[in-house]
Order: sequence, then C-alpha cells, then structure tokens
Amino acid sequence: MIGEYFRIAVRNLRVRSMRSWLTILGIVIGIFLVISLVSLSEGVKDTVMNELDMMGGNLIMVVPGDISDMMTTLIGGLELEDRDVDAIKRVRGVDAVLEMPWASEMVRHEQKARMSLLYGVSYDSGFSIVREDMGWDVVEGRFPHQGRREIMVGNLVPKDLFPDLQVGDQLTIKGSKFTVTGIMRSLGNREDDLAIPMDLDDFRNITGKREGTPIAIARVAEGYDVETVEQEIRYALEDTRVRGKGEDSPSFSVLSSDAVSDIVGNVMGVLQIAVFAFASISIIVGGIGITNTMYTSVRERTREIGILKAVGAKRKHITSIFLVESGIIGLIGGVGGVVLGVALAKGIELYLGAGGMFYIEAHISLPLILFGLGFSFLVGCVSGLLPARRASRMQPVDALRYE
Amino acid sequence: MSNLLQIEGVWKVYHLGKIDVEVLRGVDLNIKKGEFITVLGPSGSGKSTLLNMMSCLDTPTKGRVVFEGEDVSHMSEDELATVRGKNIGFIFQQFNLLMHLTALENVTIPTVFQGTSRAEREKKATSLLDSVDLLERVDHRPGELSGGEKQRVAIARALVNSPDVIVADEPTGNVDSKTGEKIMNILKDLNKEGKTVIVVTHDEDLVPYADRAIRIKDGQIV
Ligand SMILES: Nc1ncnc2c1ncn2[C@@H]1O[C@H](COP(=O)(O)OP(=O)(O)OP(=O)(O)O)[C@@H](O)[C@H]1O
Ligand SMILES: [Mg+2]
Repeated sequence: MIGEYFRIAVRNLRVRSMRSWLTILGIVIGIFLVISLVSLSEGVKDTVMNELDMMGGNLIMVVPGDISDMMTTLIGGLELEDRDVDAIKRVRGVDAVLEMPWASEMVRHEQKARMSLLYGVSYDSGFSIVREDMGWDVVEGRFPHQGRREIMVGNLVPKDLFPDLQVGDQLTIKGSKFTVTGIMRSLGNREDDLAIPMDLDDFRNITGKREGTPIAIARVAEGYDVETVEQEIRYALEDTRVRGKGEDSPSFSVLSSDAVSDIVGNVMGVLQIAVFAFASISIIVGGIGITNTMYTSVRERTREIGILKAVGAKRKHITSIFLVESGIIGLIGGVGGVVLGVALAKGIELYLGAGGMFYIEAHISLPLILFGLGFSFLVGCVSGLLPARRASRMQPVDALRYE
Repeated sequence: MSNLLQIEGVWKVYHLGKIDVEVLRGVDLNIKKGEFITVLGPSGSGKSTLLNMMSCLDTPTKGRVVFEGEDVSHMSEDELATVRGKNIGFIFQQFNLLMHLTALENVTIPTVFQGTSRAEREKKATSLLDSVDLLERVDHRPGELSGGEKQRVAIARALVNSPDVIVADEPTGNVDSKTGEKIMNILKDLNKEGKTVIVVTHDEDLVPYADRAIRIKDGQIV
C-alpha cells in the first residue's frame, strides 16, 4: 500500500516539477546550513581543544588584568614585571615558570629580509615546560642550546618565509647572527608556525626591553594540588603589588589549563548551539514552504480526492497519500542538503589546508548526517499534516462537484 | 428477487446562506437486485442528488436509505467508503479518470484501498480492459484516449472490485450517440451477468435498455 502511495506521490511531484523543486530547495538550504555549519564548528572546536590539550593539566597561566577583558589585556600592553614573576617562582609547589614576551622584528637570511614574530623563551627554565607540557618538538635538527646564539624556527618558516632555509643556516636579527639548529613541529596554526622562538636573554638583548612579559605560565610540581597552588599564586601577586607598590586593587588572572579548556569549551558549545538553532530555523521556514505547496496541491486536486473517495478511499488513505508526498519532498531536500553541506565543509577544509592558514578537519559524523535526513523527513511529514487533514475531510460529493 | 435498496421518505436540503434549497422532497423507492433502472428528469430536478443517496456517496437530511438490509443513513464517512468500495462501481459523465495515471493504473486505483496484492490487481485490471476492447491502450493516459475509450476505462475501473451495483450518472452525456449505444450495451451485458445497474440520464432514448424508468421532477418521483 505504501508503495502505491509512493508511486502516486512521485507521479504528482513530477507533474508539478517546477513547484516541487522550488519547495525542495527550501529544505535543501536549511539542511545544507545545518550540515556545513555544524560540521565546521565541530572541526574548529576540535582544533582549538586539541591545541589546549597539548598543554598539560599541571600548568597555570598568569596574565595581568581581568580575564573577561583579555583582549585589552594583551593588546593594551599590560605586563607582568620581574618582581611578579619572582613572586610566582617563590610560591610553594611551583616547579618552573615560563615567561613568554613577543615582538616583531626584521629577520635576514642571505639576501632576504622579512618581518617575523619572535618569542622569548628562556632556554634553561622555560624550555622544559614548552617541551614537556606544550608539545613543542623539532621535526628536523635539534633544540638549540643556551648561550651559543642558536635558535630554532617555526614549521612554516622554511616554507613560506625563507624558502631555501636549511638547518645550519644563519639568520641575522638586528645585527646579531644566530645559527638555526632545528625546525619545529607544527603547532596547529599558521601564526605560531611562522614565529621564531629564541632564548629569553637574546630576545631581551635584541629588543632592548630588560623586563616584562604579557603572560607567564607556571608548572605545578608533582605532589601539589593545582588549585591550591593557583590560589597561592594569586595571594603572592596581590601581596607584591599591594605591599611593594601600594596599589589598591591589582588585578591578575590566574587560570589552570583545565579552567581555560572549560571556558573555551563552554564558549564553543554556546556558539554551536546558536549555529544549530539558526540553521534549524531555516529548516522550519522550508517546512512552511512545504505546507504552502501542499495546500495548493490539495486545492488543485480536489476532484482527484473526490474520485478516490468515491471508489472507496477512507480518510486515513487520503491522509497517507498527502503525507507520503510531503515526506518525500522533505527527504529529497534532506539528501540534497546533506550532499551540498558535506561538499562545502570538505571544500573549506581543503581550501584552508592548502592555504596553511588554520587546520580544520570538517567533523562530518554519521549521527549528523542521519539527523539531517531524519529531521528533513520529519519536517516534511509535519508540514504536510494540516493540508493532508484538510484533504481527508473533504466530502466526496462536494469534491466531485469542484470545477 | 430480494431488495437491494430501499429509500424511505428521503429529503435532501442544502442551506445556501439563509435560503433552504429542497432538492429531494420525500422520495420513496425500492430497487431489487439485478434490476436495470434509469432515472429520468429535467436538469436540476435532483437526479444526481438522488443517485448520490442510492450510491452511498451522501446521506439524506431526513429519511432512511437501506442498502442490502443495512441502514446507511447515519453511517460515518469511512463506513460509507467501505460500503462503496466493496459494493458499488461508479461511472461519471466527466469520466473522472486521474490524468497522470495510465489506463491500467486508473483501473487498479479502487483495489489499492482494498489491500489487494499488486500482481492480482494488475491481472484483474488487464482482463477488464481486455473485456472492453482496450488491451492495446493499457499504458495510455486519459489525454491520449477518445471520449468513448475513456468511458470504457471508467467502466473497467467500476468493475475492478467486483461490485454488485453499477451506478452511472449521464454515462453517455459526453460521447456521440454511436459510442453511447456501445456503452449502454456494455451496461446491459453487465446487467445480464447479474449486476444491478442504475443509470441517471435526461435522454429518453436510453429508456428501452432498462427494466424500469423512474421519473423525477422538482425533487419528487412522478
Ligand atoms: N452541494 C450543493 N449545494 C447546493 N446546491 C446543490 C448542491 N448539489 C446540488 N444542488 C442543487 O440541487 C439541484 C439539483 O441538483 P442535481 O445535480 O441533483 O440535478 P440533476 O437533476 O442531476 O441536474 P443535471 O441534469 O443538470 O445534472 C440543483 O438546483 C443544484 O443546484
Ligand atoms: Mg446531474
């Protein structure tokens, strides 16, 4: 029986093909948005969370200013002074502290000169944190040694910045020569991969800035509770500023890497829900289109309904015929939307991958695809409910008299 | 012969705004199984309306309609649909075929709602189209058929569920007289096979085919 309704429905959709396709398009767009946006935002979330996961759970990030105002903190040039850093170092349970100032400088290799982002990382104390807890590694050569004017370069530096750069070459930065001992493994985003980390002392000599860092990362020694140490750091910093400099209410943000992950995870989650909600609304708009088309169809086929009823069709038969038809519209729209959505998401993934900008893997999961198909079919059926009801309630005599 | 249909004091009143239109005004009628009946009368006299009552398409405003011993006057729409599907074959003046289905598919339509298997349906429909000389037309759509051919497809459709009763509202109204004759002969043959046939018409020439002519005027039998 369902097979017969299916045949009737397909026949009707073909007869009114232009209108059918336009109605289907309404659903295609909605499902397309859901699939592409959700899979891409899931991909972005994966990438960001992966990067955060590279940071071990025993790290505590310290930035001056209020975290809710992080952008102004970083851009506005608030910095931690040496005495702040020393205070952190003196806290019980802090194993090592990584200071990480940065600056853009002109870097020369043979005849070429390029602006590059330099990081200062103290090779003696900070290195153990970036290597052991933040996943820094070399894919070629070795890590540089302190005091020998050695540096390593980000993964994309030999590709994009200085195409013929090799391990063992020399880079000149503000008149000082450095030997490149290694090329780093990719850190997951273009900006970091184009940067050049160097020893904190060398960095300070070059930039002429004797102290200050916009961010410090403390590692908690084994056997100490991260939260307790976090609290201790907060007290220590307030103490130095209030007693040492007489400030009223110094503000610092002290965050464990888990807390950062939580915050980012929450933000991404909210973003995803918003994306999902908006895309779903467009599917509902598509559903209204189906309802509209089905009402028109019911009116045009009044006589047909009368004939079917005359020859023995009950209400449920008429209802099924129209529901199957609207369900098919929804489902075809869903298939189209899934195909286009997957194509766009994969396209963006390839495009970004080729440009080396930001590595996103479009996260196209089977549940997402099944959701797309199921939801479109459901929207189709629900959209057809009222028109189908109207059709099923027509009186056979009236329907047969309809011109 | 036993009674097929009893119509007792049937009224049909349509309410158009404030005006009541009395289309049937107290009709009494008995039809026996195996009869060939024509219902005659001028346009607007209520022939089609009466046929709707007799064929369980509609229910009376007042009075009783008993079909094969069962009072159908107060049946629900779905119950009436069951009675129609099983017992009554319809032939209309406008043919009323579904335009985008083939002749064969049109003939099978009534069986869909009876849950007959597809193979069985198509076998029955093909043999019926054969019996009305349309075997080579099974895959044609109504648009490709002449009026007479369309009406024969409609006859095949009316027969597909093997009903006891065939009702036809002006079956010759849209075809020429020769084709009309052919159609009436098919109906006559069906009647000989034992089916009750009720034909509504305003054409006096059809009277000779029938066992009995019922004349109606202003909603009453005369
Ligand atoms: N659903 C309806 N609503 C209002 N009036 C109706 C309705 N159906 C029929 N009528 C009226 O009832 C009267 C009889 O209609 P009916 O169709 O039974 O006549 P008829 O004898 O079959 O005429 P014809 O020979 O032209 O087909 C007509 O005046 C018609 O306008
Ligand atoms: Mg009539």
